[in-house]
Amino acid sequence: MTVNTINDVEFGEELPAFVPDTSMDNVTRFAVAAGWNSPRFTDHEAAKKQGLPGALVPGIMNQGFLSAMIHRWAPAADVRLVDTVFRAPCVVDQTYHINGVVTDIDEDTGEVEVDLTVTNEAGETRVFGTAKVLIPTA
Amino acid sequence: MPSPDQPLDVEALRAQFLHAVYDEYTFTLDADKLADYAKSCGETATKFTDPNDPDFQAPPTIGSSLQPKQRMPDDFPTFKGLGMDAGKSVAPDKPMRAGVPLTARTHMHDIYTKSGRSGRMVFFVIRMEFSDADDNLLGSADTSIVIREKPQT
Repeated sequence: MTVNTINDVEFGEELPAFVPDTSMDNVTRFAVAAGWNSPRFTDHEAAKKQGLPGALVPGIMNQGFLSAMIHRWAPAADVRLVDTVFRAPCVVDQTYHINGVVTDIDEDTGEVEVDLTVTNEAGETRVFGTAKVLIPTA
Repeated sequence: MPSPDQPLDVEALRAQFLHAVYDEYTFTLDADKLADYAKSCGETATKFTDPNDPDFQAPPTIGSSLQPKQRMPDDFPTFKGLGMDAGKSVAPDKPMRAGVPLTARTHMHDIYTKSGRSGRMVFFVIRMEFSDADDNLLGSADTSIVIREKPQT
């Protein structure tokens, strides 16, 4: 269900999960746009030579995925905070799931707190955090 | 300057470095790159993906992608080993727009410790604040760096 006002938000509600595009082409597009165009993000072999499991999805791109999930759920949401911990790397060309759960609602101000995770196919959490968003009160 | 092997004097570091701006520069954001940034993250709202939208603006997490030109304050002590990225937090306040001059100022926002049986970890929180030409605060982005100290024997 698309959220339009704070009255549409339910405590414990799971945001519609989505699978972000972590292909090399898309991560490279992001890296160039962000000014983070380093081989560790855009070249599997170069990343492996640095001791990494492969080219990495930048942590800040994961923040972007999480913010995008919020806007897919509540198009009018005003993101006020995204606070993330990068627990383990996400590797380009692997599949991840972007998830969120509503953990607090202030119906007077419209502020909603959402717990965020990025998980891999094994269900392991790679990134976790919290977002605070403002949802229209009417 | 203490040796990199010595425990950091956190209180002294706080007194000397907290809240003093040590990096400042002016920049502009490019509309097409902002749109690419948003679309590659899966944003669907046109105010983030379409430069022709009358409310076009940077995606809310853009602040995390910006970095100071100087990583640490002048005279900040070196520490043994690599600092690890402990997380990023971004707090947008007002829209950041393409094509207008913006200013980024960086300061050491917090220094704190956590201790356990395996030793002490020291956290450094570096905050960048973004403002427009009228010095209105548009948002901030925090980067937390952690180092692990070895227990003293």
